[in-house]
Amino acid sequence: MSIKLDHVSYTYMPGTPYEKEAVKDVSLEIQKGEFVAVIGHTGSGKSTLVQNLNGLLHPTQGTASLDGTDLSGKTGEAKQARGRIGMVFQYPEHQLFAETVYEDVAFGPRNLGLSSEEVEVRVREAMKFVGLDFDTYAPRSPFSLSGGQMRRAAIAGVVAMNPDYLILDEPSAGLDPGSRNNLFAEIMALYKKRGIGIIMVTHSMEEAAKYAKRMLVICKGQIILDGKPAEIFLKEKECLLNAGMDVPEVYKLADALRVKGMRLPYEITDAKLLLAEVKRRKGLK
Amino acid sequence: MEPVIETKGLTHVYIDADNNRVTALDGIDLQIMSGEFVAVIGANGSGKSTLARHFNALLLPTEGSVKVHGLDTLEEDNLWKIRQNTGMVFQNPDNQIVAAVVEEDVAFGPENIGVPAEELRKRVEEALRAVDMLDYREHAPHLLSGGQKQRVAIAGTLALGSDCIILDEPTAMLDPKGRREILHTMRKLNKEQHITVVYITHFMTEAMQAERVIVMDQGKIAFQGTPKEVFSRVDELEKLGLEAPLAAKFAFELRKSGARLPQGIITNEELAAALA
Repeated sequence: MSIKLDHVSYTYMPGTPYEKEAVKDVSLEIQKGEFVAVIGHTGSGKSTLVQNLNGLLHPTQGTASLDGTDLSGKTGEAKQARGRIGMVFQYPEHQLFAETVYEDVAFGPRNLGLSSEEVEVRVREAMKFVGLDFDTYAPRSPFSLSGGQMRRAAIAGVVAMNPDYLILDEPSAGLDPGSRNNLFAEIMALYKKRGIGIIMVTHSMEEAAKYAKRMLVICKGQIILDGKPAEIFLKEKECLLNAGMDVPEVYKLADALRVKGMRLPYEITDAKLLLAEVKRRKGLK
Repeated sequence: MEPVIETKGLTHVYIDADNNRVTALDGIDLQIMSGEFVAVIGANGSGKSTLARHFNALLLPTEGSVKVHGLDTLEEDNLWKIRQNTGMVFQNPDNQIVAAVVEEDVAFGPENIGVPAEELRKRVEEALRAVDMLDYREHAPHLLSGGQKQRVAIAGTLALGSDCIILDEPTAMLDPKGRREILHTMRKLNKEQHITVVYITHFMTEAMQAERVIVMDQGKIAFQGTPKEVFSRVDELEKLGLEAPLAAKFAFELRKSGARLPQGIITNEELAAALA
């Protein structure tokens, strides 16, 4: 199972003076079960790219498909394929609308034509996945929740659709460090238990390094780097800085220690490993 | 020296969607002095944004008082003056743009208070120069990057004559380069033009650049001090849903393992020097 982009280009407002090619001839395959981070500066084309991945935008050239089904088609099959790719937009809490958390999460599954019993099962499961206690929160107004809880409620609405792929556009923007960690604990549990594919757009190098297995760096509408996050952060620092990106703090700390003469192995990509290594060198337990 | 902002027993109570009384701010006593660069950190819901909205009278105290340049925010006659003195920049750059051309956007505020044309042109030019956006004066704001849009919003407050700028998570939606641009701009305005800066953020690496860091928790000031003092309190920060910088966490862990390190290590360079 995979989402495939085959020579996809996307142009906004073609044939007008405002014509802008946001994605240029991108070919890409993402398997179910992958966790892919997409990074790139504002205006690099990453949001346009992910919206081509779930059929919200249809390629100007080339094709986007899920298991061979063209996502821009008008057939029932194409519609079903699009429904298998869930999308959580930036600040999803702005899209909460119902009077209770239950009604909000139930909106999607109900539109699938499920019975009310089946809907309730979906809502319970989805709320459990995002760590919102059903009895406490289901009857409450989504607008009385904290920022982090609102975001989880909004994500539950997408999870309740049982997607095979989940696209997250900056899921942690505006959250405090504690809420960020909680949110990712839940996303990782979902990822592992259901084996879905996750595609995450992020401005946080720390999150890309910590959670993703594969990272795409987008610049001027093209994929300029595609590989394991650790390898890219180790080998492509210059390229990342030129593209308006950065490297995670642990790489900077390791560099600072090296400048002061500590001889650390080249491949340190994780704070725990670095701490253990520093302790070893300093003869600490 | 007179404080730019002074709150006494500031309390803010509101009724939420489930009809509960919520105390968002609980007796805050605070002074922010002219020319200070203050960062405010705290978990979601700790009251940071509510506090910031009291600084230019977008919200009014339920109890207690807020004075800006000695003017009480509860006096309606003071509101115009207060809002000219303290500018606000919000999280989402796209929600703050009102015009189709950068210089018109910056001119919007001062034009509304009746600044004469000649003076207006001068103010807009100076404000755009101060944020390094003069080359973009005739550009369309919606085509700019996030960092550039936020700098245009900052220029808007400068053109209005604000000597105090309050930024509520100005970098939450920006890429790493945009984040660096905003921090650089605010430090420069603080140093060169003595603009008082109140900078709310979830990025501890940004708060480290302030002179004073205020930590909010459940509507109260949990503790405050220099970045060195605040960010050395590694486990207390974690209990509040926050995070110390990596170097401070390392120093904390290494000390636990018996390393003798000086107090107040918060940057990578300080840690590297102490271990060398």
